[in-house]
Amino acid sequence: MAVEIFKEKYRGKVGEVVLGATKDDGGTRSHTITVGGETALPFLHFEGEIPNRPVVALEVWDMVPEWNPCLEQYYGDVYNDPGAWAKKCVDEYGADLIQVRLKGADPDLNDHSPEDCAATVKKVLEAVSVPVMVIGSGKAEKDNTIYNPIAEAAAGENLVMGVAELENYKAVTSACMANNHVVIAQSPIDINICKQLNILIAEMSPAMSSRIIIDPTVAALGYGIEYSYSIMERARNGALQGDKMLAMPMYGNAGFESWRQKEANISEEEQPGWGEQEERGILWEATTAMAYLQSGIDILVMRHPEALKVIKGNIDELMKDNSY
Amino acid sequence: MGLTGLEIYKHLPKTNCKECGSPTCLAFAMALASGKASLEDCPYVSDEAKEALDSAAAPPIKLVSVGTGDHVVKLGEETEIFRHDKRFFHPTGVAVIISDTEDVAAKAEKFDDLEFDRVGMHYVTDMVAVKCDSGDAGKFKEAVETVAGITQKAMILMTEDPGVMEGALEAVADRKPLVCAATGDNFEKMTELAKGKECPMVVKGNDINDLAELVEKVVGLGHKELVIDSGARETSQVLADLTQFRRLAVRKKFRSFGYPAFAITTKDDPKEEIVQAGVYVSKYADVVALKACEKQQLLPLLSWRQNLYTDPQKPIAVEAGLYDVGEPGDDAPVYVTTNFSLTYFIVEGEVESSRIPSRILSVDTGGVSVLTAYADNKFSAETIAEAIKKCGLEDKVNHKKLVLPGHVAVLKGTLEEESGWEVMVGPREASGITKYAKDNFAGGVK
Amino acid sequence: MIIIGERINGMFKDIARAINDRDPGPVHEWAKKQEYNGAHYLDINVGPSSTEPVEAMKWLVEVTQEASDLPLALDSTKYDAIEAGLKLCKQPAMINSVPAEMPKMERVFAMAAEHGAEVIGLAMNEEGIPKDADMRVGLAAELVATADAFGIAPDMLYIDPLVLPCNVAQDHGPEVMRTLREIKMISDPAPKTTVGLSNISQGTKNRELINRTFAVMAMANGLDSAIADACDDELMAAVASARIILDMDIYCDSFVEVFKQRNR
Repeated sequence: MAVEIFKEKYRGKVGEVVLGATKDDGGTRSHTITVGGETALPFLHFEGEIPNRPVVALEVWDMVPEWNPCLEQYYGDVYNDPGAWAKKCVDEYGADLIQVRLKGADPDLNDHSPEDCAATVKKVLEAVSVPVMVIGSGKAEKDNTIYNPIAEAAAGENLVMGVAELENYKAVTSACMANNHVVIAQSPIDINICKQLNILIAEMSPAMSSRIIIDPTVAALGYGIEYSYSIMERARNGALQGDKMLAMPMYGNAGFESWRQKEANISEEEQPGWGEQEERGILWEATTAMAYLQSGIDILVMRHPEALKVIKGNIDELMKDNSY
Repeated sequence: MGLTGLEIYKHLPKTNCKECGSPTCLAFAMALASGKASLEDCPYVSDEAKEALDSAAAPPIKLVSVGTGDHVVKLGEETEIFRHDKRFFHPTGVAVIISDTEDVAAKAEKFDDLEFDRVGMHYVTDMVAVKCDSGDAGKFKEAVETVAGITQKAMILMTEDPGVMEGALEAVADRKPLVCAATGDNFEKMTELAKGKECPMVVKGNDINDLAELVEKVVGLGHKELVIDSGARETSQVLADLTQFRRLAVRKKFRSFGYPAFAITTKDDPKEEIVQAGVYVSKYADVVALKACEKQQLLPLLSWRQNLYTDPQKPIAVEAGLYDVGEPGDDAPVYVTTNFSLTYFIVEGEVESSRIPSRILSVDTGGVSVLTAYADNKFSAETIAEAIKKCGLEDKVNHKKLVLPGHVAVLKGTLEEESGWEVMVGPREASGITKYAKDNFAGGVK
Repeated sequence: MIIIGERINGMFKDIARAINDRDPGPVHEWAKKQEYNGAHYLDINVGPSSTEPVEAMKWLVEVTQEASDLPLALDSTKYDAIEAGLKLCKQPAMINSVPAEMPKMERVFAMAAEHGAEVIGLAMNEEGIPKDADMRVGLAAELVATADAFGIAPDMLYIDPLVLPCNVAQDHGPEVMRTLREIKMISDPAPKTTVGLSNISQGTKNRELINRTFAVMAMANGLDSAIADACDDELMAAVASARIILDMDIYCDSFVEVFKQRNR
């Protein structure tokens, strides 16, 4: 009996965004990465196109992070050198791209100057040839002073820069507009703000509407992940049904969110009922990332090299054609 | 949704006799669809039509139970494609596979201990699958009996050889195990066994077309307590098949797929296996069988299952009470918020990033956010004062100051009177907490 | 809600004159204006007094398509004119309209199937417009069943329950609302629904207010589209709001603009 396969008829499509630039386009990357372009729900190849596989980044900081000690064996030797750190992420751990987090710019931490920040980004760009994302310290006032110097120093590289928020989107967007970078638009687990922010950025420059990456603010497994999951599902459904202001690729940091949680960090001695810590942490992160993938994420940021490996393997499997 | 007018019309005599009171059969069908008439009003409707209409009105996916007593696992009766449209109802049964060629007792003991307590909830790995790899009926039966003696949880018996199945099923039939599986080659004998013992059974096809045909044959033999498996094992194809099962059952009322769905992992590395199982939990599997059996492996998977099956319409609460962020001393600041989980987690994240060890008092507001709870009088001077007393805050800190969300600054006066604590008005949004903490508590509470 | 812009109609003097003089100006202007304001289809009607409806329809279709890429709704009781227009449409069009009467349904559904056109079906027959909802729904079901026999899926149909002015037929209001709800029970997928919006306010005072109030009430009862004045900003804003309240669009602060700009 031939079953009549159920395919949704969508009229919309997620926009494609190119990350990085090669020499031909004024950059120094060895290749670019294209994300988005879906005309189907995640990995349902039978009903539409999934032209670009989701990509996975690792994170490099401009200061020594206070990460779980189990990560020392992977990154401990490069914590002090963003260039070497980035290189290790790409060469040894297989990151598709690098996210530089300029945590050290935080006035309450190392208070790195805008010039220091630009130099860090340059150093990473020189050390690796993959596309690079850059996000600020999380302190909006300070971050607004670093976007321009970074955007200018890396002009032509087609960075992904963030984050733009509803209350503070102009500085980073202008820096991206002027130097042809891509902007991350972050909304606080709120699809309405997500859409409005995209509209506001597109109003600043229509050309920017194809240079936006949505950060819906993802939560970790066990800590509200189901909200992120549903928001991403709704946004992606909206995009496929023709809502252009939600039709941008999505981004989320599974590593950062997971490793903030007790379940990833607490030792087996302290919590014998939960099993061995490192594998638990890896799986807390990988399971978080798996759920993001199933709800439509296009760019994942990970932390533990093992979690990255497992998730890349999962993406390989999911990208296999399943049309009938 | 019930049947549409045209679906009903197909089963009517189409004679337009008007005896039912409607001018045409089509008009009568519409009256039935909108509940204004009853099928009894038609004197000429056939018994087959009646049965077809009855079965079409049944839920799109059947509810199937495995196991007995407190350990029964209910599968299916799902109605949604997306959890945000309503909710998912019956959490995926997570089954650990024990092979009859390994140390059965040891793994069964380990399995039975795969229960977890986290954030005030209890997670249970609820099914165990005993698999015949030996090909030996005696050995399989012994393994099944061993497992049955160690755990009370719902069982799955995995062999496609009816000769091997028979003895094992006989031994534990009263536990209502899931017979796994009937295939194109064995379905007559396997169905007879499962039906005879009134046990649910997995029907496994070679692909979804083959499966649809096989399900019809099994139903024709009179067994309807079924769980379906397309036979696909590649992650991507399983995802597609599970999606088709759910969509065709819910949207098209395709009866052959109107049963809970079964998936099994193939990865040998436990980490890869958990992620593969996670995909199936996310997208529509009602049972997932896997080999992984360590606590650190099952906890993330069961947490995901719990998160996914929560009711999106119902606010999720954290347990009310006093929480430590970092290792707070007796001069650490105290923040007050509600027990709506999203609010709580956001506040917790911000307090944590202030890097000043603190305490958060989560007040029981029935799991709603600050402003909603305030409007409802659930976040009031009285409820906060009571929460302060209940958690014994006075004995834990050497000061009498607490930080109130800026949105409810208006409560300051009455709360100070009611509780005797000094109220500091914090920022309106959680995102302001880090700065607020730095400005006010850099050297502890003074 | 799908807005079928009503303005290219020979009933309006400027369009009648344009057809008569073969002057594309006013047609181009209204095509662009309606598209800009958020219409999804453009209704094309040569008007009641046309002496050469087939030629006029052909001219109007071609001229409209010069100014807009929107799909067209060919509006005529003369099926020869519709058929001639269908042949010229650059993309699948809509036929406006057919009642639930036998020879007419056969003619219209056959040409709809041939051209992949959608069809507006009127819940009326030789006996006129029924008052009560049950009769209207019955006629709608006949339209769906007949279309089905021609291989036309139910969701290619837009059922018009038929609206009478609220000052002369007030008792029809609730029946129309109920008809809109029950039409959705005919089939899966259900047929779509449409109304000629301004009929509700013929001969009344404050027509725009009545039109937009009716529009949002009807949407709440399942109305999918309306033949309406796309240039009525208050109407479009009310429709945009109703779409938000009915969870058909995801809210954002600029929801009215987003609704109107969707085609731009």
